Amino acid sequence: MVSTIQNTDVKQKEADRAVVVAVTSRAVFDCGADDGDEVCEVGVAFPLLQALQRVNERLLEENPTESLLFDVVLITSDSQQQQQSSRIISNTRHHGLEISRFCFSSEEDFTESLLKNNVHLFLTTDRDEAAQASQKGVFSALLNGKVASSEQLRVVFCGDAVIRTDAEPPSASQDAAQSFWAQLGEMRRRFGVLDSPLSLVLLTSRGGRESCGAALQTLRSRGVNMDEAYSLAGAPRIPILSLLRPHFLLINHLED
Amino acid sequence: MSLDPVQVMSGQVQELKVGPSSNGDSRGSWEEKEEIDQDNVGITTKPKPVTVRRTRKVEGGVFFPKPENAVTVAVSSRVLFRTEREQKVFEQDGVEEYLRFQIEHENEPFTPGPAFPFVKALEAVNCRLRELYPQSDELFDIVLVTYNHAHVGIRLINTINHHNLFIERFCMTGGSSPIGYLKAWQTNLYLSADADKVREALSEGIAAATMFTSEKVTEVSESQLRVAFDGDAVLFSDESERIFKAHGLDKFFEHERDNEDTLLDHGPLKGFLEALGKLQKKFYAKGQRLDCPIRTYLVTARSAASSGIRALKTLRAWGLEIDEALFLAGAPKGPMLEKIRPHIYFDDQMFHVEGAAEMGTVAAHVPYGIAQKHNAKQNISVRK
Repeated sequence: MVSTIQNTDVKQKEADRAVVVAVTSRAVFDCGADDGDEVCEVGVAFPLLQALQRVNERLLEENPTESLLFDVVLITSDSQQQQQSSRIISNTRHHGLEISRFCFSSEEDFTESLLKNNVHLFLTTDRDEAAQASQKGVFSALLNGKVASSEQLRVVFCGDAVIRTDAEPPSASQDAAQSFWAQLGEMRRRFGVLDSPLSLVLLTSRGGRESCGAALQTLRSRGVNMDEAYSLAGAPRIPILSLLRPHFLLINHLED
Repeated sequence: MSLDPVQVMSGQVQELKVGPSSNGDSRGSWEEKEEIDQDNVGITTKPKPVTVRRTRKVEGGVFFPKPENAVTVAVSSRVLFRTEREQKVFEQDGVEEYLRFQIEHENEPFTPGPAFPFVKALEAVNCRLRELYPQSDELFDIVLVTYNHAHVGIRLINTINHHNLFIERFCMTGGSSPIGYLKAWQTNLYLSADADKVREALSEGIAAATMFTSEKVTEVSESQLRVAFDGDAVLFSDESERIFKAHGLDKFFEHERDNEDTLLDHGPLKGFLEALGKLQKKFYAKGQRLDCPIRTYLVTARSAASSGIRALKTLRAWGLEIDEALFLAGAPKGPMLEKIRPHIYFDDQMFHVEGAAEMGTVAAHVPYGIAQKHNAKQNISVRK
């Protein structure tokens, strides 16, 4: 059983233009079981939501009629959180989060709520949930476990997977991935080189400069211009990733 | 371009390769994922054993050395190549126009910059090392570290291809400080055109020097890497130079004589000399001392008979060999360097750097120690 509640405090986005990002409520609020206190602790996704909001604010500054905006949807699928539904909604208000819709479902049905809401990107801290969503064709990514401390929305593309051989038909998940990248690329183009509220970062881990160069070309041909590029050529990823401070990593599962 | 200090974050980033048949196991650590990535290209349907990390052969059997084993030399795009025309566009017309210009000229390779011969010589040494030790990753690893935005990436890659350089690793930070990345790559030497970045690197304990573009460049060897160092405030600390600056030459000599048996403290480039020495020993071990493709020089204003002794004793105590020590006793360094023809010469005083450049030697400035305050009036402002 899936139910959706619209947040009346927030102006709803245009369905066919908005970039719908779904986040699990568990990642946004950490509501303890029986606190007398109404206010919940913020979770790992909180800075991400703030960054998404800042991007929206800047997009609207550039163009008040902008329709290519992030549309954030909160998914609650575990029963414990469901009991806290009123607290989740009130905390959203309390923290001033621009969440348009709250979706409640059972654990088995949460992918249904993703599909119903036309979600372009699903973010969670739970690997299993991400896998399940991906199987249904919803582009998913794991949230950065450590709270990222930057105002700017930083998205890292792991570029080893950017290039595909055209011989293979794209899966639903790959299509979803590509269309999300294209949306991000378009959003990025709304801003100049400097002072952008979002930064797109390419990271290639295994190949050398040719790999990275090809990834840059491929992304550019899809209208996605990267701000930063790193070619690791086999060097350890962790030190570089901790410097890059991504809010989330995008990895297309297709490798060649 | 803005300077944005990067805060290094520790902690794990969890990522998932999502696919139709992911193995759905519990949240693994980042480390574990690294191991799996190393050995697998593609989707795993069953958990793979975690393997010991070793150097990998990729893309046509070429080694990508592990940063901890390699001697990592990080160069910026402005010292590896000549980019004056583009710099002018940036300064006069701003960053958007600069990037547009770069993309427009994407298929025009840049011409070689001041660090280019040095990098080519590093690659020549690598060739020789690979012949002798085909399985070893104790090699020079050249990393391009630039403030440039990724928009310039394709032109840089095209240029590297054009000149047949072996550079597979790079960081294009799009305006943020590269210092964190230098540390992450375990950089042994950083060369940049920007003195501020060089100073920042030095303050983080990374050997670094500022390079300048000069019109006159004498030919250097293509088969033997030659690196020359000044002594005080480069290989050694600036303690003796302080005495000289404060109290004059006589006091300096007296101080050095009195302290002949006390080791000098180390300077910012000592580590790099050490790294060169380690590679040299690999050639000696295979009976190639006379034919060694790395040669090091000390070019100091100290004099052999007196103040030089302390320098030599210090080097010996550090276990560092230097192939040639030239004590100039205050004579100009330019002519001596012109004879040596090093690929790079490190000095802390701009006066010597300029003097060397006038005679065609590629000299790099190490902005360290007491000489910086005294040379403030003489410093050329580095073009940003």
